[in-house]
Amino acid sequence: MFEQVFFSGLALGSIYGLVALGFAVIFKATDVFNFAQGMFVVCGAYLAVTAISILQLPFPLAIVFIVGAAALLGVLIHMALIQPLLGRPMLSVIMLTIALSIALRALIEMIFGPQGRSLTTPMPTGVLMLGSVRISYLHLTAALVSWACMAGFGLFFRFTSVGLLMRASADSHEAAVVSGVNVNTMNRLAWAIGSTLAAVGGLFLGQLQIASTELEGIGLLALPAVVIGGMQSIPGAIVGGLLVGIIEQMASTYISPKSSDIVIYVLLLLILMVRPWGLFGQKELGRV
Amino acid sequence: MTFQSKPQKTKLAQLSLLLASACMSLTAWSQDAPQDGVYKDRIDWGVLMDMSGPTSASQGVWVNGFRDYMRRVNEGGGVFGRKINVLAEDNRFNAATDKIAFEKLVTQTPVIAISGMGASVSQVALAPTIKAGKVPIVGTYTTTKALSEPVTPMVYNGFCGYKSMAQAGVGYHVDTLKLKAPKVVTLAIETAGGKEYHDYVAEAVAKFGGTATHLTVKVTAVDVTPQILEIMNLKPDLITIYGVSNTAILTMKALAQYGLNIPTFGITYLGAPQMFQSMGAQAAANYKFISCFTPGGVDQTAGNKAMSAYADSIGRGDMKQDINYVAGWVTGQMAAEALTKLGKNPTRARLIESMSKGFTVNSQGLAAPFTYTASNNTGPVVFKLFGFDFAANKFKSYGDFADYEKYTR
Repeated sequence: MFEQVFFSGLALGSIYGLVALGFAVIFKATDVFNFAQGMFVVCGAYLAVTAISILQLPFPLAIVFIVGAAALLGVLIHMALIQPLLGRPMLSVIMLTIALSIALRALIEMIFGPQGRSLTTPMPTGVLMLGSVRISYLHLTAALVSWACMAGFGLFFRFTSVGLLMRASADSHEAAVVSGVNVNTMNRLAWAIGSTLAAVGGLFLGQLQIASTELEGIGLLALPAVVIGGMQSIPGAIVGGLLVGIIEQMASTYISPKSSDIVIYVLLLLILMVRPWGLFGQKELGRV
Repeated sequence: MTFQSKPQKTKLAQLSLLLASACMSLTAWSQDAPQDGVYKDRIDWGVLMDMSGPTSASQGVWVNGFRDYMRRVNEGGGVFGRKINVLAEDNRFNAATDKIAFEKLVTQTPVIAISGMGASVSQVALAPTIKAGKVPIVGTYTTTKALSEPVTPMVYNGFCGYKSMAQAGVGYHVDTLKLKAPKVVTLAIETAGGKEYHDYVAEAVAKFGGTATHLTVKVTAVDVTPQILEIMNLKPDLITIYGVSNTAILTMKALAQYGLNIPTFGITYLGAPQMFQSMGAQAAANYKFISCFTPGGVDQTAGNKAMSAYADSIGRGDMKQDINYVAGWVTGQMAAEALTKLGKNPTRARLIESMSKGFTVNSQGLAAPFTYTASNNTGPVVFKLFGFDFAANKFKSYGDFADYEKYTR
């Protein structure tokens, strides 16, 4: 039973890690605590419904559509809403992301209706047996794709010139500007990446369940993941997501379903009290 | 000391005059608003449901069914020349919002009656207020002991009751599967309604000498592996599900993943075509839902044909198979008929008096006829099980309503 629950937690945690990574990228680049990240997950699910069920695009083309549309959404949100608030108090920006989340939910329900939409893709179904552990192919695919995305973006940030510029902009906007980097472009790219990662998570969650605005709640589990891992740490977000997934499953199995919320958020509180920069984040030092 | 210039004084005076005029107009307007929600050309009828939140997928559809029935009535001229104006308030799955919305429909934008009362938690919270108040609840979406017992002329249940769901569902499976001392698992979300439903299941199972175990799952669960592992330990003969769409989808998919072929039935709210499509044919093979309403298109009764035709004509063809839509439609019929009986001078008091004498709702096949009396406000009590025919892409029923009557007598 332990192995089953552990693998189930890992699969789920991979999706959380993906969404948390998107959150961390946005925060690291633009210092914005994006409360609309959960709704980006929902947008991903509904973009999948649009591409696959409504437009009936071939699956590879549907993926291109989903990724492109999600990236465009992120860019537009940054240009229209975030960039004008540059330099404003953090509270204003946080309130904006909360308002954005509410508005997106209402818009989706207006367009698609309140009832959920089923999402059928050519992704494999069925079960793989590893000893006594049963893993659904869909969970396995979700985990592998999540890991591939995380690895891909990790390599992007580390080994590409654009990734290097994004990291430079995130570390110091002023220095990046002085060096001739177009910081606004880098920030828009960060929002595009953040929303795309969430949308990919939404695609899998919509297939695992049903595409509905209730997926937002799942997307918001990325928030404790990123705080636990470290708000400014990319590896931290991934590890945080995995931890949240495993803790959720373990607590649900060995204590009770409701206890998983308590355990996750108590851990969050402990981290904030003892190591507020997260497990993998770096303590900020200031010179006087 | 600050002196105001002449232009400033003029502006101030103009603003004060404007505000005073607005206040007087508002007072005059509010005094024109009838307290019962009955106007020369319309009657306001309230709906309280979750049109956003985790239960909106089913409750929002119910509201559409209710509104569409009223739309059809209005297209036919309304009730004695008055159109029925549906004022729907969104409870957002929040008991505090329920209270605010309820008060709004009672006093601010008064209505002659209210239908829906979506979440069990809101019924429990508002029950004392409703029973002591002046606005009847005609056709509830969910049923709770707090609001339904003891019987009151202020409340008329309009949906399949949990007790009857449990009795019919358990009874049918015990008979068809020939179970002795059945072991049943209730998988329910953590709400008052979930606990109540399990209690009814346990009561029904006990009559057959069996046992029932209650497993809970979060409303926002993404995975039910812990619950499935527990089910594997318990080895039940039957599972019943109480929750939202995702509860049933995740459970059936997980049962298929673990190779568990356990007959499962869900409560009436879990009867939407999208749910079966999300489960897929393999996972849905063991799943049925128990209902006192018949999905659109399943049979050719007069009521079913009329509802299906109207839904198709207004672009709601995709909703007619959703049991929540059917339930909203039938409740709309109940409300419209109750108003029609009052003639040209409807009031809240006359509505309550008229209904308290008893009445029957005959939806011509959408549900078995159900009767309210002074001592019985249960609503629909006859049920049957439905599954999904993936080849025909529509629901199929298991037997007739008459076959199930013995379980809920």
